[in-house]
Amino acid sequence: MDLDLGPEIAQFRARLRDWIGANAPAELGGLTDWRIAATAGGYQGSEIARASTHPAYALWERRLGEARLICPQWPEEFGGQGMDAVRLAVLNEEFHAAGVPRVRRGMGESLVGPSVIVHGTAEQRAHFLPRIISGEDVYCQGFSEPDQGSDLAGVQTRAEVDGDEVVITGTKVWTSGAARANMMFALCRSDPSAPKHAGLSYVLFPFTDPRVRYRPIRQMSGASEFCEDFIDGVRAPLFNVIGGLNNGWKVAMTTLGHERGGAATVQHLGFEREFWELVDTARKYGRGTDPLVRQQLAWAYTGVQVMRFTGLRTLAEVAEGRPPGPEASVNKLMWSEYHKRLGEIAIGIVGTDGLVRPDGSGYPTTQWQNVFLSSRAGTIYSGTSEIQRNIVGERALGLPKEPKGQRP
Amino acid sequence: MKLAFSAEQQELRDSVSRFLADRMPLQRVRELMESGDGSDENVWSYAGSQLGLQGIAIPEEYGGGGFSFVEQAIVLEQLGAALYPGPYLASAVLAATALLASSDEAAKRDLLPGIATGSTVATLAFTEDNGSWEPDAIRLAATRDDQGWRLDGHKNFVLGGHCADLILALARTGDGLSLFAVDARAADSADGLTRKQLQTLDQTRTLGRLEFSALPARLIGAPGEGGQILDRTLDVAAIALAAEQLGGAQRALDMAVAYAKIRHQFGRPIGSFQAIKHRCADLLLEVESLRSAVGYAAAALAEDSAEVPVLAALVKALASDTYFHVAAENIQIHGGIGFTWEHDAHLYFKRAKSSELFLGDASYHRERLATRIGV
Repeated sequence: MDLDLGPEIAQFRARLRDWIGANAPAELGGLTDWRIAATAGGYQGSEIARASTHPAYALWERRLGEARLICPQWPEEFGGQGMDAVRLAVLNEEFHAAGVPRVRRGMGESLVGPSVIVHGTAEQRAHFLPRIISGEDVYCQGFSEPDQGSDLAGVQTRAEVDGDEVVITGTKVWTSGAARANMMFALCRSDPSAPKHAGLSYVLFPFTDPRVRYRPIRQMSGASEFCEDFIDGVRAPLFNVIGGLNNGWKVAMTTLGHERGGAATVQHLGFEREFWELVDTARKYGRGTDPLVRQQLAWAYTGVQVMRFTGLRTLAEVAEGRPPGPEASVNKLMWSEYHKRLGEIAIGIVGTDGLVRPDGSGYPTTQWQNVFLSSRAGTIYSGTSEIQRNIVGERALGLPKEPKGQRP
Repeated sequence: MKLAFSAEQQELRDSVSRFLADRMPLQRVRELMESGDGSDENVWSYAGSQLGLQGIAIPEEYGGGGFSFVEQAIVLEQLGAALYPGPYLASAVLAATALLASSDEAAKRDLLPGIATGSTVATLAFTEDNGSWEPDAIRLAATRDDQGWRLDGHKNFVLGGHCADLILALARTGDGLSLFAVDARAADSADGLTRKQLQTLDQTRTLGRLEFSALPARLIGAPGEGGQILDRTLDVAAIALAAEQLGGAQRALDMAVAYAKIRHQFGRPIGSFQAIKHRCADLLLEVESLRSAVGYAAAALAEDSAEVPVLAALVKALASDTYFHVAAENIQIHGGIGFTWEHDAHLYFKRAKSSELFLGDASYHRERLATRIGV
């Protein structure tokens, strides 16, 4: 069933569909299965990266840029078209249906841009935003530190003012996409004498600077998606401090609070595909008639469908001009806990084949071994499930905060 | 498909909620639990004749309000939240749906208007002593002689079965499962109908056992049509019951959260402890998941979507697990007062279990779901 979002949205959808038909290069759809990239369950990054070097992709990227379909949710004066969450969801659905890629600008688009738009000066917006849209600046995140996980406001990396520059020194960790990035946005301590939240600044600095070294962190899955970064006196102009010195906590909260509502109705698609792959696997292993396996698969199907229903519900509410309800706040908790359990179910279904890895150097794994291992990170990164439950309990249910502990 | 409530739908929700708060507070539910057959005739007839709740999803041509199942789900959610003990699910959902699913135009015209106004309390009798929800397990026999059809056998676990005016019963004929109507207002054991009210674990939900002995009955639709009618009715009823369960689960969560804010131990509200806070957050996730699923399933039913059989199994399983979990945690979060007779937490706990077991529990529906999606 299609969600009825009114005639205006139907028209928008039709125009967009026509535009894609007229502008998507013929070879583009055949380069890879682009739909994998838009979903949360995929691990086919290198395949996507290879396809993205094809000239058809470059042509598509240029046409999208000309049509303001890169960062389209940004306000018009900053290079987007002020697309609301409903239209953005329709955009995602139509790109997905046509099998063409959204060209996204990663954390620059979803995290840095919104913070610069809200907290930057006119000059900062004019400098930083176009470089994100064009792809010239690719950002990685410098929030977590080895000693600061969930307690983000305790970061120790220093940003010392020296004339009209800041000098950044410290260690950041859990940086994804470090190898692709030329810029880092970081939360740093600029006033060590001020109370914890009051002495922080939000700084953008060149990550390609020779005074930055980083090393990949090998995860339990064998993959290395994150890095630890050693920053030793990198200099950036004061111009690169967003929201003013010592005001970084507020800026960082904007960044973290930025809703990615446009993904609501496509988020489940990767999980749905993975679910049917698991059903095929269960049949292949002769487990499709096992009553316990059938219970597990029905549970998993329910989880995926609940994500679909919830996305549609959120979108329908937003389309009516209402704020998303409490269902939006449990989204991260829902998919990350779901995926962990799915990994456990999957490796149980393949049984003894879960014991043995494919031959090869390093630590190659099968699809279900990989889901089993890599899904453990999902309930930890981007706010652990425990932090999520605090947020849900305090913001959605209005339960009282825990008394603060003593600073060590 | 529409998933956001319109202003009219929100108004409906609020007015049903106010009506129940006013006329059926839990104190009144407790009085009905302790005495009689569990129904309050004044509330029932006001709901039917003034608010149109029983007939809300019955087409206007049969005396109903002609609204969709989305509106009926709104009503059911509020009834579930209030632990309304009357025979709404029996009459306005099970019986009405069975009649609507039949091909019998004359029976619809005769019987639905009374159900719509509430002047007839109807029920659907399909389960028997074996306790199976499967149509294959039905043994009640219908035979035809020169005076018409007669029923022989029994039914059990019939919602409102001890007091219904109109009993629709599934019985076997030579042509297979068929639907029959019995006017129970006039019938007693001399006519071949013996009824017994059962003592229920959940005293807010009344059940009856019925015995039929050469009881005259009216065939509804064609002989052999019963299987199809029952399949459809059970799917609709599963979604309807899930809407009720959603209302109960939300209310139980609200009770737990409210208590966690006011109850102090160790100098702090207990809701500030993560042991309680995280539990409440997980319950919210479950209730919101159920709300999304019930909303989608109700909209699908209103559109008569082909997804309905899959959604029915999905939401009944989800609602059963969710409501019971929330109701059980509500007792735990309340501590000592939570397991007393005086506190209302046990009413929700018992309703949650009876709703879970009725129409088949979560495992039963997950197995159906697996089959229906082709696993």
